[in-house]
Amino acid sequence: MKKGIVFVFTLALMLVLAACGGSGSSSDSASGSKDSNSIIIGVPGEPEVVNPNYSSDRVTLTIQQALYAPLFWESDGKPALADKLDVSADNLTYTVTLKDGLTWHDGKPLTADDVVFSVNAMIDEKQNSPYRGNWVFDNKPVKVVAENPTTVKFTLPQVAPAFENTLKTFFPIPKHIFDGVANIDKSDKNNNPVGSGPYKFVNYKSGEYYSLEKFDKYFDGKPKLDKVTFRITKDQNAANLALQNGEINLKTIQPAERNKVEKASDVNIITYPENRLSYVAFNQNVPALKSKDLRQAISLTLDRKDLIDAAYGSQEYAKPASSILTENTKFFTDKVETYDQDLDKAKQLLTKSGYKDSDKLNIIYLNNSKAQESIALYIQEQLKSIGVSLELKPTDPTAMSNITLDRKSAAYSLMLGGYIMGNDPDPYKTLYMTGEPYNYANYSNPELDKLWNKGAVTADDTARQAIYEQIQTTLADDAVVYPISYDNAVLAIGKQYQGTKAATPQPVTMFRDLSKLYIK
Amino acid sequence: MIQTISKRVLQIIPMLFIISLVSFALVQLAPGDPISSFVTPNMNPDDVERIRQSLGLDQPIYVQYFKWLGNVLQGNFGYSLINNQPVLGQILDRLPATIGLMGTALFFTLLFSIPLGLIAAAYENTKLDRFLNAVSYVGISIPIFWFAMILIDVFSIQLHWLPSLGMRTIGVESFWDVAKHAILPVTALTFQGCASYYRYVRSNTINQLKEEYVLFGYAKGLSKSQIMRDHVLKNSLLPVITLLGMYLPQIITGAFITESVFSWPGMGSLGINAIFQLDYPMIMAITMFSALLLIIGNLLADIAYTIVDPRIREVS
Repeated sequence: MKKGIVFVFTLALMLVLAACGGSGSSSDSASGSKDSNSIIIGVPGEPEVVNPNYSSDRVTLTIQQALYAPLFWESDGKPALADKLDVSADNLTYTVTLKDGLTWHDGKPLTADDVVFSVNAMIDEKQNSPYRGNWVFDNKPVKVVAENPTTVKFTLPQVAPAFENTLKTFFPIPKHIFDGVANIDKSDKNNNPVGSGPYKFVNYKSGEYYSLEKFDKYFDGKPKLDKVTFRITKDQNAANLALQNGEINLKTIQPAERNKVEKASDVNIITYPENRLSYVAFNQNVPALKSKDLRQAISLTLDRKDLIDAAYGSQEYAKPASSILTENTKFFTDKVETYDQDLDKAKQLLTKSGYKDSDKLNIIYLNNSKAQESIALYIQEQLKSIGVSLELKPTDPTAMSNITLDRKSAAYSLMLGGYIMGNDPDPYKTLYMTGEPYNYANYSNPELDKLWNKGAVTADDTARQAIYEQIQTTLADDAVVYPISYDNAVLAIGKQYQGTKAATPQPVTMFRDLSKLYIK
Repeated sequence: MIQTISKRVLQIIPMLFIISLVSFALVQLAPGDPISSFVTPNMNPDDVERIRQSLGLDQPIYVQYFKWLGNVLQGNFGYSLINNQPVLGQILDRLPATIGLMGTALFFTLLFSIPLGLIAAAYENTKLDRFLNAVSYVGISIPIFWFAMILIDVFSIQLHWLPSLGMRTIGVESFWDVAKHAILPVTALTFQGCASYYRYVRSNTINQLKEEYVLFGYAKGLSKSQIMRDHVLKNSLLPVITLLGMYLPQIITGAFITESVFSWPGMGSLGINAIFQLDYPMIMAITMFSALLLIIGNLLADIAYTIVDPRIREVS
């Protein structure tokens, strides 16, 4: 028996040594904390498919922003890989001229052919790109031709002003790598990405880190930091502690964590608009909420300042919202009905709406979000004051998307949500048009559907403005959703890092160009 | 004996089949849609539908199951729905880290809990025994993530002795570096492991000490330490074999919470991600591995029992 125990012990030791030996034998020199001229960025999960034709989650998009360069910068539309954009008089032809002398990370030239290849790979149904819809109108794809090595011509089957925004969020992938690959999404070439951004791929250790080093031929000048490492840290409390320790130099934090993080660590805090709307949606599948009076009555009982305080603890992290469009979106207007708190009017409308106590209302929200929980509690409390009782329904994220994506569901009455939809108003239609998959309010207004469709194909900016202003006004008058706030993102970055202005904080990916960060 | 073993081995096949059937059904019945983890409202519904088809998620559950089963029988565990990479490769990537962490923790758990359990039993109801009991109660009842956070706060933040996360310093490839990163998670796991193993060893030993052969030993004039070493030790450690058998799958599947808190790149964090994103090929592969190991672990424990305990051999 004693032999047995000794055996077990030896086995355990062997396993330990085997495991550690495995790690010691690999001798790649990753970027790192040992190098002084580098940055370690904390990200909460693994990257998925690191390829701009597929990536859609925050972590992958963040890493991609350093690896690949877009034609134009999304935040202000200024040219990046592109030199300029010309739109024809009939608004059907878009001509993009690329900068001269662009190269991929492997030294091969980046030309118009790469752009054509990337777009066609997205249009190809067999490649299963989730972004195909951006390039196809009424089943007719955009025609894309390389006129010469630096000029690409896009011909649209119909006028589509939102297309300009599609071009501005477009990152080409290298043709010489992916040409002839049957399934680009499953290709292991995505594990060794070749991009054109400021930093090139070094290595990826699953569960540990994704490391990059500077690309000297980056179109916008040599990056100032030598190395960038994305460190995967699932547990956010532990990641915040690592920020104090200097094991992580940059990460996004929750507004509620700011004081703790700022006090404990040597960091600067940067807040900037995330172009995200937080809102309460009223599900019109619930009979009582078909009444506009009831929706307005509920809206009138709420106070945005209180809601923001409840959710974020301070007005600093969110701005009271008015319209369903965010402020960065083209044709945004704040001249809409905002339902400032008025309890007397709310009570009148409630009586008018024919609301009965038997109309049981509930509110569905994410059970892992402190902010949403506080908002839900606040709404419940406020509604009591006009005599409406609200059942709380905290739900885990997968179940919540299951319930709320069912367009026939009457299982939720009020829903807490948030969206980041970009700079053009056209994509917002999937949230408000009849029968669209993300129409959480199950709102239907044929007149407005027509306007959405018209807005998508109107080229003239003044005419478009009128359309989208009317859409915003109507949605506000109908109290389809109650817009709460335009949220800010909060970044914590080590005090030694400078150049955050030039690097330009932006939604989702933290910074738009990490190459501008440097150490003082 | 050989007959019994071969019978047990044959039983593994239907057992795994039923386990796979049940877990597949459970994964499919879970609320949510794997597609939703990478779909945004910006995407066109037609494209989403096309992706669903390409992943085979539009087919009835039983078709998906048999396709999956067919592939597994050919040794193909499929592609992750989330990052489109082969499931098996990702698991093999993570295994060394988990085996290293869990193996080390098991080693220290046994190293500490067995002698402590024996000592506590030998000095039952003394101050020492009560002290050890109190510590083990604490170990069993405090949440491990909380204990882990305390460890990080004290040893990484306050004292700056040890790193708080990951398996190595980026850019450093040395055994010592990995060991340094392992100290805190191993401590957390060992503390928790010891707390339960200790109680097991202690109560077994106390039972053994009441047996007649112990009294007989005293009567023969043996000292307490001789009795403990030569007779009680062996008998009270027998049930630990069963515990080890049950621990085997954990060596592979890892510790979800501890790995998350310390960002240890092992199977635990891989598994928990898969569960949150309903990545069923990944969930199924991990479930099948751990089921297989659990069965094998129990089988080995039973065999070991038969070998070391003659009474069982006689009965069977």
